[in-house]
Amino acid sequence: MQNWYPGDAQGRGGIYNFVTKRGDCRGARSKISWTQVETGSAITWKYPSCILRGEASRGEFYSIAISNGHQQVDSGTKMIHLGRNTTSRIISKGVAAGKSQNTYRGQVSAHRLATGARNFTNCDSLLIGQECGAHTVPYIEAKNSSAVIEHEASTSKVSEEQMFYCLQRGLSAEEATALIVNGFVRDVLQQLPMEFAVEAQKLISISLEGSVG
Amino acid sequence: MLEIRNLSVSIQDKLILDNLSLGVNAGEVAAIMGPNGSGKSTLAYVIAGKPGYEVTSGEILLDGDNLLELEPNERALRGVFLAFQYPTEIPGVGAMTFLKAALNAQRRARGESDLTTPDFMRRVREAAQALKIEQEMLRRPLNVGFSGGEKKRFEVLQMALLGPRVGVLDETDSGLDIDALRIVADGVNALRDPARAFVVITHYQRLLDHIRPDVVHVMSRGRIVASGGPELALELERNGYRDYAEEAA
Repeated sequence: MQNWYPGDAQGRGGIYNFVTKRGDCRGARSKISWTQVETGSAITWKYPSCILRGEASRGEFYSIAISNGHQQVDSGTKMIHLGRNTTSRIISKGVAAGKSQNTYRGQVSAHRLATGARNFTNCDSLLIGQECGAHTVPYIEAKNSSAVIEHEASTSKVSEEQMFYCLQRGLSAEEATALIVNGFVRDVLQQLPMEFAVEAQKLISISLEGSVG
Repeated sequence: MLEIRNLSVSIQDKLILDNLSLGVNAGEVAAIMGPNGSGKSTLAYVIAGKPGYEVTSGEILLDGDNLLELEPNERALRGVFLAFQYPTEIPGVGAMTFLKAALNAQRRARGESDLTTPDFMRRVREAAQALKIEQEMLRRPLNVGFSGGEKKRFEVLQMALLGPRVGVLDETDSGLDIDALRIVADGVNALRDPARAFVVITHYQRLLDHIRPDVVHVMSRGRIVASGGPELALELERNGYRDYAEEAA
């Protein structure tokens, strides 16, 4: 979970956050699971990766990336399938508000000897307001004909109808946004330990403050 | 209690409500009937404050305050409840989570503390039982995959929990079979109260067999063209709206 200073209202002075984390699954049936909640820094480049070397090893990547104001997020993962019957799963939820740009960038590669490699990727983006952007950039590379790589992506907007429905029940615009966004990222929140999930929910609400006017 | 005065509303320069006036007293159930396109749903949305409608004149007073000056959520906090004709789906947000958020937002606005979880669960269970709503349905995301009848029952469940001053029912009977209609109508009837008013918008007499109105208003081309007792709804059922449509022309 990272929440660095994103800069002032114009995005000036914010932290640039560049992270490369790599995990190496060496043993048979070994497993690495990354879970990230990104809310801070002016520019984020972050790609926690898994090298799936051991036979039937497994890599997972669960991500929530929230951007607001002038933030730019470019984050995702690399799943490098080297061993036989290796599997990976990527679930990414990007939420863009304000004037921010939110990009998922991920690589899935199945190498020559990775017979039976299997990947499933699901990237969902949610836009709040008119001035933000969401982008999905998957790099897929299969050098083994038995590899199966799946990529699903969706982009949606918080609709006026959803907002009005919440407001009509007495929620403020900010409460409504937090509720809708928390619903959107629920699949990933469920992967977090209880204590973190509670904190993450609060962090999401704080990050989105001022995103609706 | 609810007083609409000379209300004119346009959507993209098209006049939908034309100098409409309507009063609803506390304890009263007012039915609004009228043909398609007469402006009934617009009236419901404008009372609740949905964006996209341009109010060119008039006011809507609730207990003397002009609702048109308030945000939609402020209106809700003053006791305006709209049972939607097409309730919106919100994926990932549990129906229970939503109920709790709404209930607590309204309690906080009144200066009350949040409900404890057991207290909340008990209230929901009681209200849900009366409307024959399964607990399983409340664990699903809000309105996602609900059948037409389930959506309408869930609207009434929310109304029961929030206890509004004015309940506006926008074609709550549409898409309901006769059993579901009875359940929903009983749910509304149970909420009738001397301090509470209902505006029941419908095409058909059928709903009014179950929710007996005190007054019936006929709407055509953005105006109230006739008002009377429950017998007016029966007459409409026999003769249709044709007479009134011509009268307004």
